[in-house]
Amino acid sequence: MDPSPEDNAPEQPAHPAPFLTDAVRASARQRVEAKVAEATQATNVLGTFTLFVKEMERFLTFALQSLISPALTTMLWFLVFGYSLGGQLSEMGGIPYVDFLVPGLVMMAVLTNAFINSSFSFFITKVHGTVADLLVTPLTPNQIILAYTAASVVRAVAIGSIIWGVAALMGASTMHHAGWTLGFLLLTSAGFGILGLLIGILARDFDHVNFIPAFLLLPLTFLGGVFYSVTLLPAPWDTVSLFNPILYMINGLRYGMTGVSDVSVGLGLAISAGTVAAGWAATWWLLASGKKLRE
Amino acid sequence: MHTPLLRIERLTKTYGDLTAVDDVDLSVEAGEIFALLGPNGAGKTTLISCVCGMVQRFAGRVRVAGFDVRADYPVTRRLVGVVPQELNFDGFFKARKVLAYQAGFFGKRRAKARARRLLEDFRLAEKADANTRWLSGGMKRRLMVCKALIHEPVLLFLDEPTAGVDVELRDELWAYVRRLRDEGTTVFLTTHYLEEAENLADRIAILREGKLVLLETNAGLKARFGQRWLEIRFQDAVGDDAVARLGAATVQRLDDRTLRFSYREDGATRTQAKQPAIEPLLEGIRREGLRVAAIDGGASSLEDIFRQVMRGGRGSTPVPFPAGRPSTADN
Repeated sequence: MDPSPEDNAPEQPAHPAPFLTDAVRASARQRVEAKVAEATQATNVLGTFTLFVKEMERFLTFALQSLISPALTTMLWFLVFGYSLGGQLSEMGGIPYVDFLVPGLVMMAVLTNAFINSSFSFFITKVHGTVADLLVTPLTPNQIILAYTAASVVRAVAIGSIIWGVAALMGASTMHHAGWTLGFLLLTSAGFGILGLLIGILARDFDHVNFIPAFLLLPLTFLGGVFYSVTLLPAPWDTVSLFNPILYMINGLRYGMTGVSDVSVGLGLAISAGTVAAGWAATWWLLASGKKLRE
Repeated sequence: MHTPLLRIERLTKTYGDLTAVDDVDLSVEAGEIFALLGPNGAGKTTLISCVCGMVQRFAGRVRVAGFDVRADYPVTRRLVGVVPQELNFDGFFKARKVLAYQAGFFGKRRAKARARRLLEDFRLAEKADANTRWLSGGMKRRLMVCKALIHEPVLLFLDEPTAGVDVELRDELWAYVRRLRDEGTTVFLTTHYLEEAENLADRIAILREGKLVLLETNAGLKARFGQRWLEIRFQDAVGDDAVARLGAATVQRLDDRTLRFSYREDGATRTQAKQPAIEPLLEGIRREGLRVAAIDGGASSLEDIFRQVMRGGRGSTPVPFPAGRPSTADN
């Protein structure tokens, strides 16, 4: 009886391959041995750096949109609220209102742009199919997170610096403590850069990517004391505001820039660092387990 | 102990109720060109994705050069290159830059020269500084092959790389594949063009609904499943009695003067085939005094065999013969 194809499947063929010569076989084995020796000793610092540079270059290819436009938009907020309407207010929290406003606007731009940079960048690779080029590389989850986050931090801090610089040229005095300022800028941009990557991995369409900045980030930022001190809010809203984590980030930066804060700066630092840690852990788990991305 | 370059053991991948790859065992030796065939949805791309890292949530074990593709992925992914089936491009960058980045991801330093050579080999040198968005479909496909090769993999996966490309590019690509193999690269390909597998592959596997239903050498496949056919047009009408006396196992009357005989191929390869089934037939023709006007003949192609396997196996159903082949001999 003739065996069925299913019965034959695991068998090794009895017939020699028609094209595979001993010379080719030997050459292939030699190449495999050499490549294995190379691969087992390789680290991938260059790979991480390359992904970081690629992400940097990506947003620099449309710098007008990725850097200049958000800085300009924020400066318009500054002009409208700081000089036009804010002219009616002499002080807020014991400092000139324009000084009070700058850290809030900087933080708003930093959080939004850090998030958008990594979320859109990663999501667009899924749309274009080029995510496959990343998935087949030997980059580890930590290396991928580090590269995307670092690029988001650079973009966000660059925009924040432009806003701060222009505000300074317009007379704002906002450099109380460089260490706190830089610390909050780096931690918050890193945290939201990682959260952006997390959403970029999870998102199935553009609405998912847009949802967080439009419906979560923007309201929480506005209600987090960008334009006002929460101590001015009536009860219970002053208490409710304390559950908004972005309030602590804004006030942390405000402390670094002006020495004024409505809440504990230490708690702000802990929340910012916690955002980085939680975001990193969740993103690492997604990348390492393959959930949503390698299914 | 001998370690195959690629060893797949009991690989199963399910998506909800759908079993895309079902308990597949497979080995590929260094230096082979291995073709995986199967209809759309058979699980070919999923199987490749499990090896290359695009899918890692699966049951079973996959090893490249003895390294597990999940536990030792920083090693295995350096050994493997893949050209995905879906056309992709990164619209932010130029072709040259795309290759530089891809080389960098694998930690390859000084990849400029290799990138230049690949771009030349795939006739993309003139487009090296063009944004990939503006490349034609064929160019994008070629750039994908360049990307897969930039880190000098020893095992290259080509997932239907010639789908939707013109004949010239297809021929060039396969010529390049042969060259790669001669230089020591193992090639694992899927294709819808069965004649490509027939002309290129050392071994051929067929997936059907996620299951590996056939694994055989190219030549062995034809020997086991192939049939030859002989179509003879006689100068005069041939009666049914005469046909019966010819004693041929399988004969089909095409018209009153034309008969088609089929028989199983016997031998290692088509060209070396011994054909004992023909001799009694020719003797019968001489004995009956039939005068031959023309003879045509041929063998079942891989496509015929593929159809046969897809129908459910070797079975008793004769392989459908291709119609309208040109005559090979006229009297």
